[in-house]
Amino acid sequence: MPGVTSNSGDSSLSIVPHFSDSQKPRIYPLRYHGLIPPLARVSISWARGSTLRVSLIQSDAISEKQPGGEVVEVKLTNMEGGEITEAQWRRIAYGSVTPFALLQSQKNLMDSSHYSKDWWEHVMEYSKEINSLLGNSKSSGNLVIEDPKAVLKKEEEPTSLKAAWELMEIFYADKQSETCIPERLLDWLADYDCLFSRTQPTVHAKLVDFQRELVTLQVVENDPKYWEAMSSALAVGWLDIVVKLLHLHGSYQFDQLGNRETENGLVEAVAVLISKMPRMRPDLPAEKLGECYQTKPEFMKAWEKWRAQITKLDCSAFWLQCDHHQTREGLKNMLQIMLGNTSILSNVTYHWIELFISHFLYIRPFTVGLENMCNLAQKCMHLKPISNHHKLMGLIIGILEENTEVVLAECSRSFGPWMITHALELLTAGSTQAEILLHEEQSKLGGINIEELHRLVYAQVLSSHALTWNIAPIYLTSCMKQGMGLLENLLYRQPVQNHQVLLKSIEICRLNELDIVSSNMMKISGVRNWKHGQKGSAVFWLQQAQDEVRLNRIAKQLFDFVGKSVSDESFKQWEGLIELLGTESKTAGGLKFLNIYRDFRRSLLQVHGGTTSDAAQKAVESLVSLMKNPSTPQRFWLPLLYDSLKLLNWQEHPLLNVSQTHLLLNKLQELSMARLRPDFTNVDLPPEALNSVRLALANNLGRAILEE
Amino acid sequence: MALTTFPPPNPSPVQIHRLPQYTYIDALRWLPQLSAFTRHILLATFDSDTSTPSIQILTFTPTQNPINTPSLTHQSSLSTPSRITSLKIAPSPVNPSKPLIAASTFSGSLLFYSADLVNGSLNLEFSVPEKGFHLGAVLGIDVSDNGSECVTVENGRVNLVNLAEKGSVRRVFDSNGLVSYSTVKWASPVEFVTGGLGFGLHWWDQRKPGGPVVQFKGNWTQGTTSGIVHSVDIQWSRKHTCLAGGSSGTVFAWDIRWQQQPIILSGAWAGGGPANSISESEVWEVQYDNYRHSSNTGNVSSSKILPAMICSEDGILAVIEQGEEPVELLAEPCAINSFDIDKENPSDVICSLEWESIAILMRPQDKRQ
Repeated sequence: MPGVTSNSGDSSLSIVPHFSDSQKPRIYPLRYHGLIPPLARVSISWARGSTLRVSLIQSDAISEKQPGGEVVEVKLTNMEGGEITEAQWRRIAYGSVTPFALLQSQKNLMDSSHYSKDWWEHVMEYSKEINSLLGNSKSSGNLVIEDPKAVLKKEEEPTSLKAAWELMEIFYADKQSETCIPERLLDWLADYDCLFSRTQPTVHAKLVDFQRELVTLQVVENDPKYWEAMSSALAVGWLDIVVKLLHLHGSYQFDQLGNRETENGLVEAVAVLISKMPRMRPDLPAEKLGECYQTKPEFMKAWEKWRAQITKLDCSAFWLQCDHHQTREGLKNMLQIMLGNTSILSNVTYHWIELFISHFLYIRPFTVGLENMCNLAQKCMHLKPISNHHKLMGLIIGILEENTEVVLAECSRSFGPWMITHALELLTAGSTQAEILLHEEQSKLGGINIEELHRLVYAQVLSSHALTWNIAPIYLTSCMKQGMGLLENLLYRQPVQNHQVLLKSIEICRLNELDIVSSNMMKISGVRNWKHGQKGSAVFWLQQAQDEVRLNRIAKQLFDFVGKSVSDESFKQWEGLIELLGTESKTAGGLKFLNIYRDFRRSLLQVHGGTTSDAAQKAVESLVSLMKNPSTPQRFWLPLLYDSLKLLNWQEHPLLNVSQTHLLLNKLQELSMARLRPDFTNVDLPPEALNSVRLALANNLGRAILEE
Repeated sequence: MALTTFPPPNPSPVQIHRLPQYTYIDALRWLPQLSAFTRHILLATFDSDTSTPSIQILTFTPTQNPINTPSLTHQSSLSTPSRITSLKIAPSPVNPSKPLIAASTFSGSLLFYSADLVNGSLNLEFSVPEKGFHLGAVLGIDVSDNGSECVTVENGRVNLVNLAEKGSVRRVFDSNGLVSYSTVKWASPVEFVTGGLGFGLHWWDQRKPGGPVVQFKGNWTQGTTSGIVHSVDIQWSRKHTCLAGGSSGTVFAWDIRWQQQPIILSGAWAGGGPANSISESEVWEVQYDNYRHSSNTGNVSSSKILPAMICSEDGILAVIEQGEEPVELLAEPCAINSFDIDKENPSDVICSLEWESIAILMRPQDKRQ
């Protein structure tokens, strides 16, 4: 593993986020069922991922009925969890496999013309797919009757992960709306301002507070909070909310319309101006307000006209006729916001990013280029210093400062290996500088580049979980240098005793053309099955691996087993195994013997059943081929011949011809010689067996010679 | 006004709903249907965060509008001592609202539950402990209609469990590890088929004890590599034809009257090379598909194999019919581990996806029925 050893103590350098909460020890219960305390021994080792394997061993004094011990696994989890639970992380991991793989294959197709001009379209598609995984689908259209006093829509809390992804998309992937980044940031803030509310006052928090009070308020326009809420919302461009709030103004009520006509006219005029605000963006969602302009000159024209209208209204004589003090002041204040009054904007916004957005909206609508944005952001931060640093802030600053290293570090530190692996695709598409940095081979990383490093780390995280290990190969195979080697490692570490895992591993080998690995896994599985007495499975897997050496070796042991049951009825058990062996000697190896032996036994049984000499003839053929076959173990020769005595002494005519008899006699001779050797194993047969076979053969030979 | 002949309306497409579960699905089945509006699904799940296996009843409420996602709500859940390898459901002879559920486990035991469909509860009736019963995981079970239970394991033991006698066990066969079985299916009250290694199928008859009556081994692989049968299915009305699915996308039918000649429906060996194969990896489950069949029962010749549904490791759910192009219903980026066709309503299919979710498919109902 190209390990990057994290400096102990400085968590900002570690790649996998690590939380040290050393305050109180956490207790994990052991769930075992068959054991009775006290336990004699306990041993602990690491299992997969952050799981401990605890082996509990009983003392010897326990009765035989009890198991001797038990192995349990304990998962060490971060119980509190983060924003995103483990199950949700897995869902994101599953969902991002297809978009990632698709993008990689598109990249391979493009080969050298990596930066063809429509590449970003692929990246954008990828980004949208990934983005859709990060939030739960919005349940829209559920509310048929809208509550007029519900200013803020109640939606589930968005995650910072999604916010971070969208930021990356805005700045790196979306080339189409490069000119309207301010508008996209405005939308972004509308969705995610609530994330900052937890630690800090925000416009969103202000609106939430006001929403709570609104239900009990009788005359809204008398409450200064009403005007404050509207000013704040206006400053950050939430026009629909402002207009909705304005329409709650008391002057709209029928009984008041008569005597507050001018006041109502002013309120409505401001509302109309707000909803007519020119926006430089291709389109707007249905519920949002404003008028869209696509090109800069058109927008400029509209912008100037709009501001002229505001100024005109500001200087209007109607204000003098407005008796309601709060309304007059409030509306005037709003007009100042729209005219871009810096100090008021600063007063009605809370977070620096809110001020930042308000500047785009009302002061510098044409801000383009990261450098300008960065200068503005620094100015805003200076005006609104923040005590509590939200993790998104670091990312935003890194992006605006065009500092790829910072963006990488923030992604990785705050959002983990999934984020960095997938967001790299956006980074490399969006910035040449980042692309060079990420694809440069680093000698301190063992010659791999940063992109590969992050993929390897993410693959490692995936591999550490039993449900995600099998998607790790997708990421490993996208790593040019270390990927395949680590994939082999990963496969070898899978528990072959699990049937499903074994088959899955073999499938992964097939897809990646790792035939040797697959054959090795089959061998491992075969040997394991053999050791556990699963002889059939063992033979099957060794056959699949075409491992003749091991097949021959286990053949020897199998024959010991057969040797005891040659003539008894339990041979039925063997039928299934022999079926499995098939007829091809290549895959059967030394077990080919069993196959012929089965035929021999079948015919012999028929002979004993007293049927025709046809069966006897067949039995003899099998016998001869058995004796000819080099795989037939020597110690079976005599038992086989002894079993065939009836054939050798066949009454009607000799069943074996001269040459066949000679063959058998030779084998017998060989056997007699072998008996002298020290390693000869004696077979459990009556002592006269050898002599009776020899006699029968001699007898048969004589009759055969006469017949020929 | 011009008279125009409208083209016949397109057959409404298959509705597919993917529902994430945030837990691994080990097995799933439709439960018998009590009413047309509420349907129940049985899931065997494994929560990897807490390492707890359990079985659950879920209520499925289909929607009229295909755009909306049907709702799936939890009714009850019971944790099980070990992960479930196979689930089978038998209708209760006494009370149709209380079907019997048989579940086999990785640790080698067998669990029997009764489900109460009226209030959606589960109740453990009795269990057969692993000791002396099976060595290793129970890989396949099947419940016969006459109330006995057949079990097979990795280690090649075939046991029968009598349900009427609350789980008394009878050993049918013990191969001492020489043969392994992975799946089992009743063919009649006294006969059943087991499938296992080497594309092998064994036919058993309880009237002829001592071992399998007929054995079949797929030897079309020309000796290089072979495979495993993962699933078999038989229709009792045509009990001599056994449908089997296994490795390398292989689906074949074995007629015990033509013992050594299988009919290969799909697979890398199906003659024309991989082109004939809808899947190239493990076929995890096969079931005869009654859906299309319902409209044209009359003209299906008895020699033709009935349509079969399969699911595979490479994410395919498809219907295969002899001599016709396979119909792909789903192509997922992850494995489809199992599926179940609703017996009362064969247009509806549920399947479990490897990525901790289930998919529900609703094929257009045949109006001619």
